[in-house]
Amino acid sequence: MKIKALLLLLGISACHLIGYAQKKEFKFGKITPEEFQIKASGKDSAAAAIKIFDVGNCYFEISPSSGGFVYVYERHIRYKVLNKNGYDLANYKIGLYKGSNSAKEDLYGMDAATYNMVDGKMVTSKLNRDAKFTEEFNKKYTYKKFALPNVKEGSILEFKYTIKSDFIFNLRGWSFQSDIPTLYTEYNVKIPQYLTYKTNFSGYLSVNRTKHESVNATYVNGLNSTATYDQYVLENVPALKDEAYITTLDDYRPMLDFELQGTQFPSEPYKDYNGNWTKIISGLVEDENFGQFVNKNSYAKSVLPTILKGEKDTLAVTKLIFDYIKNNVKWNDEHSIYASGTNPKTVFEKKSGNSADINLSLISLLKEAKINAYAVLISTRDNGAHPGFPVISKFNNVVACVIINNKNVLIDATDKDLQLGMISYDNLNHQGFLMDLSTTKGSWIPIEPTFTNEKNFNYVLALDKENKLTGKIIQYSKGYAALNLRDKYRTTNNETEFLKNYKKDKPGLELSNYKIDNLDNLDEMLTESMDVVIEDNVEEAGNLVYFTPLLFERTKENMFKHEERLFPVDFAYPIKENYRITVTFPEEYEVEKLPKGGIFKLPDNKGVFSIQFLGEGKTLMVKSTIDITKSFYTPEDYFDLKELFKSIVQKQAEQIVFKKKAE
Amino acid sequence: MRKLIFLTFLAVINSYSYAQTTYDAAKIPENLTKDAIAVVRNEEQFFDYKSIGSGQVDYKVAITILSKAGDDYAEMAEPYDKFSSIYNIKATLYDATGKKVKEYKSSDVKDQSLISDYSIFEDNRIKLLKFYSTAYPYTIEYSYSQDFKGILSMPSWRAIKGYNISTEKSVYTIQKNPTLALKFLTSKNLKTDSTKVGDKTQYKWSTTNTPAIESEPLSIGLENSVDWVKVSPTQFEYDNTTGNFDTWKNFGAWISKLNENANVLPPATKTQIQSLIKDAKTPKEKMRILYNHLQQNTRYVSVQLGIGGFKPILAEKVAQVNYGDCKALSNYMKALLNEAGIKSNLIVIGNGMPGLNPNYSSMGQANHMILCVPLEKDTTFLECTSQYSPMGFIGYDNSDRNVLMITEDGGKLVHTPIYNAKDNYQVRKTKINFKEDGTADIDIKSAYGNAQFEDNMRMLLIEPVEQRKRINETNGIPGAELISFKFNQADKALPIMTEEINFKSNQLLTQGGDKAFLTLNLINRKESVPAKIENRKTYFAVSFSYQDDDEISYTLPKGYAVEFLPKDITLTSEFGTYTAKFITKDNTITYTRTQTMTAKKFPPEKYNEFVDFNKKIYQADKQKAVLTKTL
Repeated sequence: MKIKALLLLLGISACHLIGYAQKKEFKFGKITPEEFQIKASGKDSAAAAIKIFDVGNCYFEISPSSGGFVYVYERHIRYKVLNKNGYDLANYKIGLYKGSNSAKEDLYGMDAATYNMVDGKMVTSKLNRDAKFTEEFNKKYTYKKFALPNVKEGSILEFKYTIKSDFIFNLRGWSFQSDIPTLYTEYNVKIPQYLTYKTNFSGYLSVNRTKHESVNATYVNGLNSTATYDQYVLENVPALKDEAYITTLDDYRPMLDFELQGTQFPSEPYKDYNGNWTKIISGLVEDENFGQFVNKNSYAKSVLPTILKGEKDTLAVTKLIFDYIKNNVKWNDEHSIYASGTNPKTVFEKKSGNSADINLSLISLLKEAKINAYAVLISTRDNGAHPGFPVISKFNNVVACVIINNKNVLIDATDKDLQLGMISYDNLNHQGFLMDLSTTKGSWIPIEPTFTNEKNFNYVLALDKENKLTGKIIQYSKGYAALNLRDKYRTTNNETEFLKNYKKDKPGLELSNYKIDNLDNLDEMLTESMDVVIEDNVEEAGNLVYFTPLLFERTKENMFKHEERLFPVDFAYPIKENYRITVTFPEEYEVEKLPKGGIFKLPDNKGVFSIQFLGEGKTLMVKSTIDITKSFYTPEDYFDLKELFKSIVQKQAEQIVFKKKAE
Repeated sequence: MRKLIFLTFLAVINSYSYAQTTYDAAKIPENLTKDAIAVVRNEEQFFDYKSIGSGQVDYKVAITILSKAGDDYAEMAEPYDKFSSIYNIKATLYDATGKKVKEYKSSDVKDQSLISDYSIFEDNRIKLLKFYSTAYPYTIEYSYSQDFKGILSMPSWRAIKGYNISTEKSVYTIQKNPTLALKFLTSKNLKTDSTKVGDKTQYKWSTTNTPAIESEPLSIGLENSVDWVKVSPTQFEYDNTTGNFDTWKNFGAWISKLNENANVLPPATKTQIQSLIKDAKTPKEKMRILYNHLQQNTRYVSVQLGIGGFKPILAEKVAQVNYGDCKALSNYMKALLNEAGIKSNLIVIGNGMPGLNPNYSSMGQANHMILCVPLEKDTTFLECTSQYSPMGFIGYDNSDRNVLMITEDGGKLVHTPIYNAKDNYQVRKTKINFKEDGTADIDIKSAYGNAQFEDNMRMLLIEPVEQRKRINETNGIPGAELISFKFNQADKALPIMTEEINFKSNQLLTQGGDKAFLTLNLINRKESVPAKIENRKTYFAVSFSYQDDDEISYTLPKGYAVEFLPKDITLTSEFGTYTAKFITKDNTITYTRTQTMTAKKFPPEKYNEFVDFNKKIYQADKQKAVLTKTL
C-alpha cells in the first residue's frame, strides 16, 4: 500500500516536446505536411522515432454467434521514424488468444502504410498482401505479424486495426508511455449500462480523464440503452527509460486496466463478479482450480500418516508437510494463482506443477493435518504492484501462510532451498492478500522479508617475507545470500567448476580443503571454509610493502553510477556485509601508519558503513561492515546511497603500508 | 525337475528385473560421471534413406541427469517443418535406480512455432516436452519417428552431445537404397562399419564410454577432440528443385539456378540508378554511391519459408518494398551494380562458423550471404544487411574464411579478407592533471579500427542519454565524474571511429598512511587471469588479432614527489607481445603500453603458457607508483 501511495504523490508532469499543433483528427492516410517536420527535442532529442498519436477505442457489441457481449478494440497509431534505430517499428505484432472452448479473439482488418516525402510530394506505400503473416505459436496464442515497405529515415508509419474479443472479464488496457516519446495518446471506452468495470490507473504520470458521460448505445434492435463513455488523454509524454534496482518498469508506466465487476441485465438480478473482496474470495473458494482443489483430500488422507508418523506439534507438522511437497513436486517455473488440475493427486502424479499446484497442494495437506493454513495472493515483482482495491486479475501467484506463535509464517514450496517463512525474490513485492478460505475473510498483509541478504567474511592470514599470505577463509551466508549461494552451488556442474568460478575474480588466490557445511540443512548457517595461499596481492615498491586489506571482498565500484534517478530503489531485501581480516606480519616489517577508520551513516538509520583498522605488535586487524537496512529507498535516498557507496569504495581501497627494516 | 523349473523361473525374473534396471544410475562407470552433469546412457539413431526425396528417422535416447546443473538436458526439443513430420513420440521418466516413475502422454507434448529471433516469419515448429524430477539422479527416455519429404542434409553425429555430458553408448546408422548415393566425412579416428542388408547398404558409427569434456575458455570447439561424422546426400530434391552436392562447383550451380532471373530491376529503379551514378567516374565511386543508396533505403526483414530459405526474393520485388533478408538484399545490390555496368558475385558464407571445407561440399556449413565485387585492382566484399557497415568492412565474423562464390559456371571457393592485429587497433592518449587538492582532470582520446571499431560502433548508434549511461557503467575509473564525451566516425566509408571522454575524479590516488599510490595503467588493465587447466582437451584462440597502444601522461599534484616507479617491462611470446614503460620528469609521469595479440589457433597443450603470459600482463598492469608528500 505504501508504495502505491508514493507513486501517486510523486506523479511527475510530462515535459514538453516540440510544439506540434494537435488537431485531434485521426483519419487514416490523411497526413499533414507538418507531420513530416516533427522532430524530437529536449531529453529525447536523439530518439529513434516519435509516436505522433496512438488512439484506441473500446466498445461493446452483441456477438451474432453467441448472442452475448463481445468487446471491440480499435487501435490507430502513427509514428515518425527519425533514424534507423526506429526501423523495427515497421514490423507490427498482434497477439490473439483462443480459449479451450469456442471463445476466441479475431483480428478484423489491418490498414497500414508507409508515407515518404519525395521531392515535396507524399508517396504512399501500402502494406503488401505478402507481408502479412500468421504465427500459430501454440494452441492458445496466435500472432499476426506485418512488415511495412519503403521505410527510411523520416518516414511516417501508420497502423489501424480492429480486434473483437469474447473475453470480456478483462478488457485490453492502455499504455500511455513507451520507450519513444509520444505526442498524443487517447483511449475511449464505452461500457454498456449492463456492465460495470473496475478501472485501475497505475504509473508515474497522471492521466487526464477528458470525458465522462452517458451516451446512447443500442446493442439489441428495438431496445434503447446507454453506455458510459470515458476518454483518457495524455499529451507530450517523454520516453520511458529503464533504471536498475526496480521491480518492473511497468510499475512506473502510466497504464489503465479493466476488470469486470458486475452485470445487470434487464429482468435479471445484479450479478456481482468481483465487486468486493468477499466476492472474490468466495469465487476462489468455489473455483475447481483453487478452493475445490484444496478441498480434495484423498491424496492427503493417503500420505499424511506416513509423513507425520503421529507428530502433533504445529511447527513440526508444518515442516514435515513442507519438506514432503518440496521433495516430491518440482516447480515448472510458471507462476499462477490457479492450479492446472482439479485435484492435488494429479500434481503428485505429475511430479511437477506451477506455483499454485504446489502451494495449494501444500495448503490442502496442511488443512487435512488440521493446521489452519491461509492462501496469500501476490503480484510478483515482474507483474508489478497490485492497485490495492478488489481486483483479481492483477494477482499472478499464490503462497501459503500459517500462524505460528502469533506470527504469520509465509511458505513457498516452489524451491527446495526456501526455508519456512521465506519467499522467493520474485514474490518480494511488499504486500500480499491473505485469505481465510473457510470464513471467506481476507486482508492485505505486509510481506517484507524477515530474512536479509547477509554475508560474513572472515580471513585469518599470515604474511611472509616473500609477500605471500597464507591462512584460512571462513564465509557465512545467511537469508537470501544463502539461498543464492545454494542455488549457485547446485546449478554449477561440480565443486571443481564452482571453485573455478569462485576464483575467477580473485587473482592470486590458491585454495585447498574447501568445505561447504549445511548445504542441505536449511536451519543451520551455510558455512564455507578453505585453506588459502594468496599471491600477487601484496606488492613491493622499493623498501615499501603494501596491500589492500579488503583483498577480494572490497567494493570496487559504486553500484549507483548515474547522475539522475526517477524511480525508487527497490532491493527487495536488506543487505548486510561483514568483513574481518586478521594478518600477522614478519618481524622485519613495520607498519608505517594505519589508515583512519570511520563510520558513514545514512539519515534515519537507513544504512551504515563502518571500517576500522587496528594494530598490535605484529598483528593487524581490519573490520568493515556495510548495512543497508531497508529493502526500499525513495528516489531522493538514491543520492545518499550513492554518497555512501562512494565512501565505501574509497575507504575500502585504502592501503596498508609496511616499511622494511634495513637489514 | 521341480528344481529346474524353479531355476528357469528365477532366470526369467532376473532378466525381467535386469531390463527394468538398465538405467540404474549406480551402474554408470566412474569415468563417465567425472566432469559430467548428465550421461547419455543409450542413443540410437536410424536414418533410412528411402529415395532421393524421402527418408525416415527413428530416434531413441536415454539420458541420466546427475545434478541440478544437468536439468537442461531433461527435455525433448525436436524441430520440424512442413517437409518433416514427427510422430510416434514416447517418453518415460525413471528414478535413480532405473524404476519407471512416469510415462508421458502425447497430450503432455507441446507443439510450438520456432522462429529465429532475427526473423519475422519462418515455417519451423518444435515438439517440446520437459521432464521434472526433484530427486537426483534421474533418467529420461524418449523416442520418436520423423518422415522427410525432400532431403538437403542428413543428421550428423558426435560422440558427445556437448560439454559436461558423457556417453555410455551411442549408435548412428544410415541405411540407403542401392540406387542412392551419399557421402560422409568423419573425424580422424572414427571407424565406419559398412554392411549389406539385402540389397541395401548400412553405414554405422558408434561410441561406447566416451567421457565428458569440460567447457574450456577460448575453446574453438569440440571438433578436434571427439569423434564425429557428417553425412550428406549427393543428389537431392527439395521443394520442387533438384541439384547435387558432388562438388562446391555443383552446389554453387544450384544456388546460381535459384537466383536465375531474380536480377531484373523495374524501369523506374533503372532510371534512378543511372541518375545517381551519372557523375561518377570510376567503378569504385559508382559502387560507393550504390552501396550508400542501399544502406539509406533498405532494411533487413527476414522471412524463411521452404525453398525461400535458399532462394532470394526477386530484385524487382525488393525495389518495390525496400526490404529483404541477406539473400534478397545481396541479390538486389548485385542488380544495382549490374545496372551500373559492374559485375559482382553472390557469396555463400558461414557467419561466425568455420570456413567451408574444400574437400567436403554439403549443406550446413554456411548461414549467410554477402556480395563480392571484383574490380580490376581490388576485390570488395559487401555486407548488404547492415545499414551501418562501412563499405567493404564485413566484420570479424565474416573475415578470414573459405566462402563460396557463385558464378555463371557454378561455385568457386574463395577466401575473405584477413584483418590482422595492426588493422584491429586501439590507440589511446590520456592526459591526467592533478590539482592541488588531489582532484584530477582526465582527458581520454581513443581511436578504434576494424574489429575494435566493430566492438565499439554501437556507441555511435545510441542516444546521448544512453551513451552517458554506458560510459558511467563501464569506465571502471574510481570516483569518475563524467564531464563530457564525443563519439565520431569521420568517414562513414571507413571502419574507424574516435572517442573523446573527459572525467573528473578525486579517487585516483589511494592513501596508505602518509603515502599515496597511483595505479599507472588507469584504463586498459587486464583485470583477471584465466585459471590453468591440467589436461586441456580443446584448441583455443582469441576472437580476433589486435593491437592496443596506450599513452598516459600524468601531471602530479603539487607537494608530491615520486618515491617509486616500476621498472620497464617487455614480454614476448608466440601469443603476442607486451611492453610497458615508465618515465618521470619533474612533476610528470609518462606511461606507455603496447599489447599485440594474435588470433592464431593453438593446441591445448599450449594453454598454460598462454595463461602465464596473461598473468605477467596482469601483474604488469596493476603496478603502482608511490608518491610521498614533500610539503
